[in-house]
Amino acid sequence: MKLPALTLNQKLACVALALGVLALFSVPHRGPVVTLDTRELALIVEKEVDHVTPSELAGWIVQGRSDYRLIDLRAESDYAAYHIPTAENVTVAALPEFPFLRTEKIVLYSDGGIHAAQAWMLMQAQGYRAVYTVLGGLEGWKDDVLYPVLPAQASAVDRARFERVAALSRFFGGEPRAEGAAVATAPMELPKLVAPVPSSGAASPVAPRKKKKEGC
Amino acid sequence: MSSDHRPAAMPGSGRPASPYWNPYLAGIGLGLVLLAAFVLVGRGLGASGAFSSTVAWLVNLVAPAHAQSNEYLQGYLGDGTTHPLKAWLVFEVLGVMAGALFSALLAGRARIAVEKGPRVSTGVRLLCAFAGGILMAFGAHLARGCTSGQALTGGALLNLGSWAFMLMVFVGGYAVAWFMRWQWR
Amino acid sequence: MAPFYKYGFFGDEMSLVLAFVLGTGFGFFLERAGFGSARKLAAQFYLYDMSVFKVMFTAIVTALLGVTYLGWLGWLDLSLVYLVPTHLVPQIVGGLVLGVGFVVGGYCPGTSVASLATGRVDGFVYAFGIGAGTLVYAEVYPAIKDFVNSNDMGQVTLPEVLHLPWGLIVFVVVVIAVAGFSAATLVERHFGDKA
Repeated sequence: MKLPALTLNQKLACVALALGVLALFSVPHRGPVVTLDTRELALIVEKEVDHVTPSELAGWIVQGRSDYRLIDLRAESDYAAYHIPTAENVTVAALPEFPFLRTEKIVLYSDGGIHAAQAWMLMQAQGYRAVYTVLGGLEGWKDDVLYPVLPAQASAVDRARFERVAALSRFFGGEPRAEGAAVATAPMELPKLVAPVPSSGAASPVAPRKKKKEGC
Repeated sequence: MSSDHRPAAMPGSGRPASPYWNPYLAGIGLGLVLLAAFVLVGRGLGASGAFSSTVAWLVNLVAPAHAQSNEYLQGYLGDGTTHPLKAWLVFEVLGVMAGALFSALLAGRARIAVEKGPRVSTGVRLLCAFAGGILMAFGAHLARGCTSGQALTGGALLNLGSWAFMLMVFVGGYAVAWFMRWQWR
Repeated sequence: MAPFYKYGFFGDEMSLVLAFVLGTGFGFFLERAGFGSARKLAAQFYLYDMSVFKVMFTAIVTALLGVTYLGWLGWLDLSLVYLVPTHLVPQIVGGLVLGVGFVVGGYCPGTSVASLATGRVDGFVYAFGIGAGTLVYAEVYPAIKDFVNSNDMGQVTLPEVLHLPWGLIVFVVVVIAVAGFSAATLVERHFGDKA
C-alpha cells in the first residue's frame, strides 16, 4: 500500500506529533533528584581544597572582598544572636532551593562543622563547584579570631605575630588573651553585632544584591 | 482574494515583492531564535521593556528629579551604575529593527507606507495606531510583557501567567474586532 | 552546561552583543512572516488569515520541545532560565487590554518595531503611542500599584499548578497546536473567500 504524498505542512505536523509523543517520557532536569559522581567527590574531599580557615575569612572581611557569599546555616534565632559579619542566613532545609548564581563562590559555616560539611555535599550534588566550608565553624571563629590566646612560652617573633591577630580580634569586637590569664567564670559573651566598616572602603558586602531586570 | 497575501513591492524596484513565508517555517525560525536565547543567555525575548527603559531615560534627561522619584521609572533607571539604555532588551530591539529591515530589503518589501484598510483615511489610521499604542503600553506593563515576552517566551516555558495572558489577548482582540472592522476591511 | 551566561562562559558585554544578534534573528523571522504589516496582523482577528496564531504557536512548540529535550539530555538547566513571576489578575486584565490595542492599532510592541524599521509610518506612530502610554502608566502607577502587584503567585508553571508531569503537558500542547493549525486552515478557507 503506497502512502499518499504529504505536503510540507503535513510532514511538519507529523514530526511535531512524534516529538510530542516522545516528550511524554522526558524527565525535567534539576529537580530535587540529582546524580552524584562519587569518585570525583571523594577526590575533592581528600584534597581538602574546599576549606577556608577562620583567619583567612577574617582577612577577607576586613579587606571588604565581595566576590563570595558567606552563608550561616544555623537557625534564625542563633543567627540573630550573633553571626559572623557579612554572613547571610540560609538554613540547611532552605539551601537546595536558594537561588545562588552558578558563578558565585559560596562559603558555608555552622556551629561546629558537621552541618556545613553536609550542606557542602548537598551543593556539590547540585552541581555547584565553588563551595567552601569554614574550618571549625563558629567555634573555630571564636577560638581563632575572636578570642585568640597567646601561649605563655611565646617568642618575640610570636608576640609580634600575635599583635596582628589581636588587632583582627579587636576589629570584630573580640578579646585577645594571654594564656594563664584569669579565665572568666561566666561563659564568654559574644560581641554585640556591629558590622565592621571594611578598611578598603568598598561597598558594604551585606548591601542588597543588585537584581538585574530579566523580564520583558 | 485578500491582498494581504500579496505584499506590495518597493517603489522603483522593478520586481514584485516576494510573498510571505510559510507561517510554520517562520514560526520554527522564531522558535529556534527563542531557544538560542534560552541556551545562551538564560532568558527569553521581549520588547515592551525596551520601551520602558527608553522612556525612563528620556524623562530622566528632561526631569531627573521626577524620574527618580517615580517608582516605576526608577526601576528602569537602576542604581546609577549602568546607563538605562545599556539594557538587554534595548539592544535586542535594535537587533529586531536591523533584522526586520534586512528581511524586508531582501524581499523587496521595504518602503515608506501606511498599512491600512481601503475604507479608512491615513489620518484616522495613524490616530488609531497612536491610540492602540497607548492601550498596548498599559496592557503590556500590567502583564509584565507583551506577545514577545509573555506569550512567546512564557508560553515556551509553560509559564502559568503567560498562558492566561495569551488566551486573554485573543479574547480581547476578537471581542473588539467587529467594532474596528472599518479600519481593516 | 547551558544557559552559558549563567555558568559564567561570558560576561555582560557579550550578553548585550548576543541581545542584538538574537534580536536580529527575531526581527528577521517576524518580517519574513509578514508581521511588519498591520493588515496581516489584524487579519488574524477577522479570521481570514490565521498566520499570527500559526506563527506564534509554532514558535512556542518549537522552543518548548527544544527546552524539553535539552533538559532531558541534561544539557540545559531550565531552572536557571528566567521565568516571569505570575500575577494572575493583572496579567489577565493586561492581556485583554493588549488584545484591544492589537486590533485598534494593528501591532504589538515587537511587531511595531519590525514595522517601523521597514518604513511603515503607522508602525512608527504606534511605537510613539507605546512611549506615550508608558509615560501615562508611570504617572498613574502609584495609584494602581497595589493592583499591579496583586495575585503574586511567584514563578509557577502549568505542570506545577496542574500537578502533572512536564512531558505530559508538552504532549498536550503539541496535540492542541497541531489540531489548532488544522482548524485554523479550515477557518481561513471559509472566511478567506469572503474577503
